[in-house]
Amino acid sequence: MSSQFRSTLLRVLIIQVVALILLWLLQSRYTA
Amino acid sequence: MHWINWVIVVVYLAVVIIDGLRRTRGTKDIEGYFLAGRTLPWWAVGLSVMATQISAVTLIGTTGQGATDGMRFVQFYFGLPIAMVLLGVTIVPFLHKAKVYTAYEFLERRFDPRTRSLTSLLFLLSRGMSCGTIIAAPGVVLSAIFGWDLIWCVLLIGLPTVIYTVLGGVEAVAWADVKQMVVIVGALLAIVVVLVMRLPVPLDDALRVAGSTGRLRVFDFSFSLTETYTFWSGILGGTFLMLSYFGTDQSQVQRYLAARSVDEARSSLLMSAYWKIPLQALILLIGVLVFLFYTFSPAPLLYNPRHDAQLREKQPAEYAMLESRYTAALSARDQAARDAAASSAPGALENFTQQNASVESVRKEALDAAAKATGESSRDVNYIIPRLVLDHLPLGFAGIFLAAVLAAAMSSIAAELNSLSTASVVDFYQRWYRPNAGSTELLNAGKIATALWGVFACVVALYAATLGSLIEVVNRFGSFFYGSILGVFMLAMIKRSSALGAFVGLLTGMAAVAAVSFGAPQVSFLWYNVIGAVVVVVVGYLLSLVTPATKPREI
Repeated sequence: MSSQFRSTLLRVLIIQVVALILLWLLQSRYTA
Repeated sequence: MHWINWVIVVVYLAVVIIDGLRRTRGTKDIEGYFLAGRTLPWWAVGLSVMATQISAVTLIGTTGQGATDGMRFVQFYFGLPIAMVLLGVTIVPFLHKAKVYTAYEFLERRFDPRTRSLTSLLFLLSRGMSCGTIIAAPGVVLSAIFGWDLIWCVLLIGLPTVIYTVLGGVEAVAWADVKQMVVIVGALLAIVVVLVMRLPVPLDDALRVAGSTGRLRVFDFSFSLTETYTFWSGILGGTFLMLSYFGTDQSQVQRYLAARSVDEARSSLLMSAYWKIPLQALILLIGVLVFLFYTFSPAPLLYNPRHDAQLREKQPAEYAMLESRYTAALSARDQAARDAAASSAPGALENFTQQNASVESVRKEALDAAAKATGESSRDVNYIIPRLVLDHLPLGFAGIFLAAVLAAAMSSIAAELNSLSTASVVDFYQRWYRPNAGSTELLNAGKIATALWGVFACVVALYAATLGSLIEVVNRFGSFFYGSILGVFMLAMIKRSSALGAFVGLLTGMAAVAAVSFGAPQVSFLWYNVIGAVVVVVVGYLLSLVTPATKPREI
């Protein structure tokens, strides 16, 4: 696995975690 | 529709076809036609992969689903990034280095011609049928909205697609996909802006109102084999579905086989991993905004104009009664929504949810009456966003939206036609009938096969219209075979696997999925892929232990 692929993987992981946190915040703020 | 909207649609269609004609220069031989000479940059492949996945069903069905059911559908895609990463380190390098034209060709090198032919045949059957439903989905909606015959709508979508796919091959398809992706995302963002601007209350208060109906509930952590949209079915079932789709479905594999190198192929897949969940969340959020729009302004009783007209004509008294109750319920809900938006008292939100339930109850009665009056399924989720765009958005938006629906449909259909043609020619025509055929003969066969599959898909589209919920139909077709085919590719990675184990495992996996599908229909189709893949690997591996291992070879 090349270092370029590893760093892309890391970015993918970060974006997914951020997306999930944002969706979670959306749910917690607006759903009772 | 205003003539300016039609001009936008015609310009879009002309650009796609003219660009397809320009791309014929790169299709002098079979590798150029089917794999663009393996020269496409990663970002073009990535956008092409994404455009292929966003079909018209996604654009009109998923927004409608967001409006009626909320955001929880996004959980379906939670497995996608995991699948993309796994594929990037497993199947992608295998297939790219093998220099194959189809994913199934690789299975002959690893196992035997039987497994290759069966998996390719299953792909042709399931994708050929699903291609019809991909055309049918927007075809049916356009037919009802504009009052045209279905056949004209199918031709409007199918004919330009067949022309540029036949003439330009995968290169035309991929570059058209890039432009189509821009049109689709542009149209979606424009609709978001207009919907937010049209809200009569601040966005934050409006979302609080929508949230009280559960439409902003994204996560469901319950574990259920019968519920499709939960966190766990998305993570587990979704990962297997996406592994199968992106790893073994020729329509996707062919995209990254056209990339310049293994790294570019991986990067193109990771582009989907980056953007799929945010994009799907955006599409569903548009649905929620549509719900809010119709909460604060009069919503149609039936979104399907054809059913509305038929019910009004056949049952005028019942229609008038329903309409009057519906108008009163809408008015009460509108007031309750404004009260709830203005006040933070919990009673105000409770009152809104009650009024919303009354509106939905009258709508359900109207849908039942429409089903009885027309003798057809009256589910009208797919008509919500087209009605909104045509009835309420500013001039030009309808044209952009229609162009985006056509773009979404065409990008998906073109990829399917191109891959169906590749599998037909490489896995059957060349493999069994004309092994010594020259490049020109194969190129011509590819063009003829593309055209024939296009005609087949259009014919299926005319009949698929009566199949009911189109989103589910498209997903279900693949689910019967996908998991089992994935299982064969997983076996291919195990050194000890034998050809007999793979073939028998494949048959057993499909039988197991069929048994579950018919014996326990309550099990969600997302789990079929897990069941199919696991059964193939277990049965195939056990059988391989008692049969001689098959060593990979060149054809």
